[in-house]
Amino acid sequence: MMAVAGVLVGMLIGALPGVGPPSGVAMLLPLTFGMEPTSGIIMLAAMYAGTMYGGTITSVLINTPGESASVVTCLDGYQMALQGRAGPALGIAALGSFIAGTIGVVLLMLVSPALAKWALSFGPPETFALMLLGLTTVTMLAGDDPLKGYISMVLGLMLAMVGFDIISGDARYGFGIPEMMDGVDFLPVAIGLFGLGEVLAGAEEKTQPAKTTLRLRDVWPSLADWSKSKWAIARGTAIGFAVGVLPGAGPTVASFFSYTVEKKVSKTPEAFGKGAIEGVASPESANNAAATAAMVPMLTLGIPGSATTAIMLGGLMMWGLRPGPLLFEKNPEFVWGLIASQYIANVLLLFASTLLIPVFVRALRIPYSILMPLIILFCVTGAYSLKNNVWDVGQMLVFGVVGYFMKKLGYSPAALVLALVLGPLAERALRQSLIISDAGIGIFFMRPISGVLMALALLAIAVPVARAFLNRGRSTN
Amino acid sequence: MRSADRITAVLLLVFSAAFAAGALKYYRYWAHDGPGPAFLPFWLGVVMAVLAAMMLFRRIDRSALDWLPPPGEARNRVLVVLGVTAAFIALLKVLGMVVGTALFLVVLVRYLGRHAWWLTFTIALAAAAINWLVFVHWLRLPMPQGMFWTF
Repeated sequence: MMAVAGVLVGMLIGALPGVGPPSGVAMLLPLTFGMEPTSGIIMLAAMYAGTMYGGTITSVLINTPGESASVVTCLDGYQMALQGRAGPALGIAALGSFIAGTIGVVLLMLVSPALAKWALSFGPPETFALMLLGLTTVTMLAGDDPLKGYISMVLGLMLAMVGFDIISGDARYGFGIPEMMDGVDFLPVAIGLFGLGEVLAGAEEKTQPAKTTLRLRDVWPSLADWSKSKWAIARGTAIGFAVGVLPGAGPTVASFFSYTVEKKVSKTPEAFGKGAIEGVASPESANNAAATAAMVPMLTLGIPGSATTAIMLGGLMMWGLRPGPLLFEKNPEFVWGLIASQYIANVLLLFASTLLIPVFVRALRIPYSILMPLIILFCVTGAYSLKNNVWDVGQMLVFGVVGYFMKKLGYSPAALVLALVLGPLAERALRQSLIISDAGIGIFFMRPISGVLMALALLAIAVPVARAFLNRGRSTN
Repeated sequence: MRSADRITAVLLLVFSAAFAAGALKYYRYWAHDGPGPAFLPFWLGVVMAVLAAMMLFRRIDRSALDWLPPPGEARNRVLVVLGVTAAFIALLKVLGMVVGTALFLVVLVRYLGRHAWWLTFTIALAAAAINWLVFVHWLRLPMPQGMFWTF
């Protein structure tokens, strides 16, 4: 029941133009507050799957990806829509997502416990090194300008410093305001940055709603479509899972990577970009497999791989769960509940998407002048229901403005939210490590696991810097 | 994005200096057994200052367009949306969620779309009712009540 509601609401929100998975999950998270933790988590997993698919609908029909993970889908999906084949494009995407998601869940079940067991041996230095790696890789991949990505990330860490210090108990940067003592909650920030920020940016344009119609019987892809796509789906799933498991990589990289691979192995590479169905099947399978795989580092290590999983992580923490290796030992019912609901969500998604696509397509025809106020209403209600407190709503408003400028100026809200969620955990790990080591930073490099992780993290910082220098050399010549 | 980036860089530089200085002034950098509450904030301030300085002094990419505030009409729309939302939030405690929602929607839907009044009112009332139904009735989350009425 919760899963059905979650998938439907998730798809509906995800199918709204301008609302991608991160904003969708951030806005829907408050819906789960009034529920029991188990129902809440089922709903959350379902919403995650639903918004991912919802983003595909807008990519194909109006060439507007909801998240960076569906950017590639636009290439061929929108072309197919122009050729009147929007139905098969969405159908194959749903089928591919279902297959990839289901296999992804099975792999998730197999990989996670082992990884969690291994991660149990991690001490504070390893934890810190891992978080640093997660932060730097996400930031590196977040946008066109790595410098702005790092600025966004450090800003997020700075915001995470506000409030009570967990070790000494000092209230930092509170300015004597009681609400500030609790720190900056990630949810109003996420809703503001992703939800309100997007709406404000959208308010600049006077967009007309897309004119699209789609009938149920048009949704099913033909047998020829299927035989063309089946290996694309298989390859997409494999690539998606492998990439998605890496902390920080996530669905976006997976979808780009699998599209490239598919084009390379294809006998007709020239058809890509002109409406090739493999060009939809492969990235859509990949991003769904990766979205499932991203739960592996999120659950076992506490390191989310994308903005959406970062928000999910924050959601889990609000229920007092601390994702990480201990979660599997302390709250097994929770972990398995989440995994099981992912599975159910996938099945539901297949039904919902094939049967209800025509309904969701109608959502695209709601004029933006009506949609926009409703989205704002959702943001306000969501921010309020976190702690029943108008202060949070004000915070949401402030970060909406920040989000508007970040979007306009090319900063990365995803890096900021991730840093805000990981900040307190990273700080504690850092300080505990330095206490253990009697204050030498050598501790991070002397221990084998943390040494390797630190080296990778430093590499993630060094690569963009080096690239910037190389570009500079090229442009002066 | 040239001057916009420069201005941002200067603002970030000032902010990070204040952040780092504030950390050292008000909190302890080193506790008896290890780093204190000011340790990480101080270094974050330093790192941010370095990043901001890098942005301030990096070579200008002349091919990139400078970001300019949107022209008149678009800017007005953004400001009105922001202003109406701010007013809605500020008045939440006075008007309550249900009445506030309905008013907010009437004003904004009408401004943005110039839809007929009947459509505007239908949307506003329906959304306010659904919002109440989902959050208050079904999920039992307390929503702000008005000063003059209790729904």
